[in-house]
Amino acid sequence: MIAWVVRRVAASIAIIWAVVTLTFFVIHAARGSPFLPEQSQSVSPETLDRLRRQFGLDRSLPEQYVLYLRNLARGELGESFVLRRPVADALADAMPHTFFLALAALLIDFTAGLALGIYQAVRERSVGDVVLGNVALFVNSMPTFWLGLVLLLGFAQWLHWFPTGGPSDPVLCPRVDSLPCLLDFFWHLTLPALTLGLVGAAGTARFQRAAMLEVIRQEYVRTARAKGLREGRVLLVHALRNALLPFITLVGLAFPFLLTGAVLVETVYSWPGMGLLAVRAILQRDYYVVTGAALVTSAMVVLGSLIADLLYAVADPRIRVRGA
Amino acid sequence: MNIWNWVALGGAAVAALLVVAVVRRRASASASGRRFFRHPTAAPGLFVLAFFVTVAVAAPLVAPYKPYQQIDIDHLQNRSPSTRNVLGTDPFSRDVWSRLAYGARISLGIGALAMLVAVTIGGAVGATAGYFRGWMDAALMRLVDVGLAMPRIFAMLVVVALWDHIAVPVLVLLIGLTGWFATSRLVRAEVLSLRERDFVAAARALGAGPGRVIGRHVLPNAAAPIIVSAALGIGNVMLLEAGLSFLGMGVPSPAPSWGNMIADGWPKMAVAPWSATFPGLAISLVVMALNAVGDALRDALDPRKEAV
Repeated sequence: MIAWVVRRVAASIAIIWAVVTLTFFVIHAARGSPFLPEQSQSVSPETLDRLRRQFGLDRSLPEQYVLYLRNLARGELGESFVLRRPVADALADAMPHTFFLALAALLIDFTAGLALGIYQAVRERSVGDVVLGNVALFVNSMPTFWLGLVLLLGFAQWLHWFPTGGPSDPVLCPRVDSLPCLLDFFWHLTLPALTLGLVGAAGTARFQRAAMLEVIRQEYVRTARAKGLREGRVLLVHALRNALLPFITLVGLAFPFLLTGAVLVETVYSWPGMGLLAVRAILQRDYYVVTGAALVTSAMVVLGSLIADLLYAVADPRIRVRGA
Repeated sequence: MNIWNWVALGGAAVAALLVVAVVRRRASASASGRRFFRHPTAAPGLFVLAFFVTVAVAAPLVAPYKPYQQIDIDHLQNRSPSTRNVLGTDPFSRDVWSRLAYGARISLGIGALAMLVAVTIGGAVGATAGYFRGWMDAALMRLVDVGLAMPRIFAMLVVVALWDHIAVPVLVLLIGLTGWFATSRLVRAEVLSLRERDFVAAARALGAGPGRVIGRHVLPNAAAPIIVSAALGIGNVMLLEAGLSFLGMGVPSPAPSWGNMIADGWPKMAVAPWSATFPGLAISLVVMALNAVGDALRDALDPRKEAV
């Protein structure tokens, strides 16, 4: 087991290194530079030269890469040209926002998705199942950012129930340090989380319905019923336990989905998380923010699949034996 | 919209119905074909797809205006839907329906072609890795691990930054090149089990080289999961294209794609919701149809699973 974990962690580090390296070279090869000609209208060429030297951009690319890796080994992610602050600080500010958004979205995704999926499987081919199935298929097929726009239009623009964007009220609650401000944060969080969560829940429901249907038809479920167990116990204890196994795959897959969705949803709601930071950095050629974001996102994806594998080992004894 | 546009649109609907009817008749000859149509959403899904493909092909007939044409920039901005502009006009005074019809060419085209690229590469890589095993398998699969570790939209945004003004064929190629990782894993798994089968050993014993064994004996037997994943993958590609275009990094304006139509309409969402809403609805409908057809295909091509 320990050997397996060590091997997995080593492989994960190798994957993250490869992603960071690829990102490093591609973004450096991209057209334009962090110090664009537009800026040079107000900044003299000499100053631009000095800035390039200061950030080490005058050196050759391999040199810069070696330097970057050396800093990375020391835990330094470099300096953001545009934000004029360490990349680590910028990421540290952005990550909690994405984290809470993802957490809230996952909560909606899994609770609603599981409940709907189980309900549909139990009432297979009823009107409710068919209607919910088609609704889930439709919601699952929407572009997340478009659903975000529609919700924004309906609930923020027309009904004024929710704010139109941002993480908190900039005047009343610049920091989340009191109860009203915490409520304000949740109020701002609702629509983005709902956007990501609903699309995810639709997918989860479809998946869980199929998984549950497969289990419900098995002999041991019939046995449980024959023993005279109550239907609720049969479904929730006997059937659901095995139907949850494939669900673990979804937990691992949810990470990339939420990160990907977050890029667009964060843009729609001006939610200052990783996605918005990364998109802006790519557009502004803020090299080290881009590589830093690549590092964090790939680490999260790898971590997601690692967690899923571990959960599998915990949930399914057969895998534990083989994996050990 | 004039009368002829309506006639053409009706014609497109009739053509789509005909397509469904013809496919249904053809399919009824085989067991898997009947299983396909027993799936309740298969026929409607197929109809939606056929309809939008017809609209894309016949765009000049069903669209009253050219997609770039700014009808009347002074008076016809953000007009609500009317008999003249059935889906309204966008912030640049362009007819939303016309752009939607022409945009179908770009959005559906990118979806299908990029998926073709992805399936081709994924199939080749997966077959190579699964058939030859050994170091080649290890190397290719580590590559796939790296590819899957990067959220696709993030990878696309970084790569697209290499171009100032990206051409659509390049975009198709790039989307395909970032989309084959999952397919290759799937194909590899299939090939791994197929290569141990007797008919493969027989083919090898008859002197067939690896290329022939893979191309003629192994891959055709792995076709079902590849087709299903391709059908489901087109939808994902369309969503990806829409997302990229929405961020201004996809299909360059003023060419109409459903994604950049949403991007164009977004700033005026409050006064003219139609110009961003209808393209999004079109994407949702087509992706939903693709998912429905993909689900039905999976049931149809997997004989162990009797139709639900």
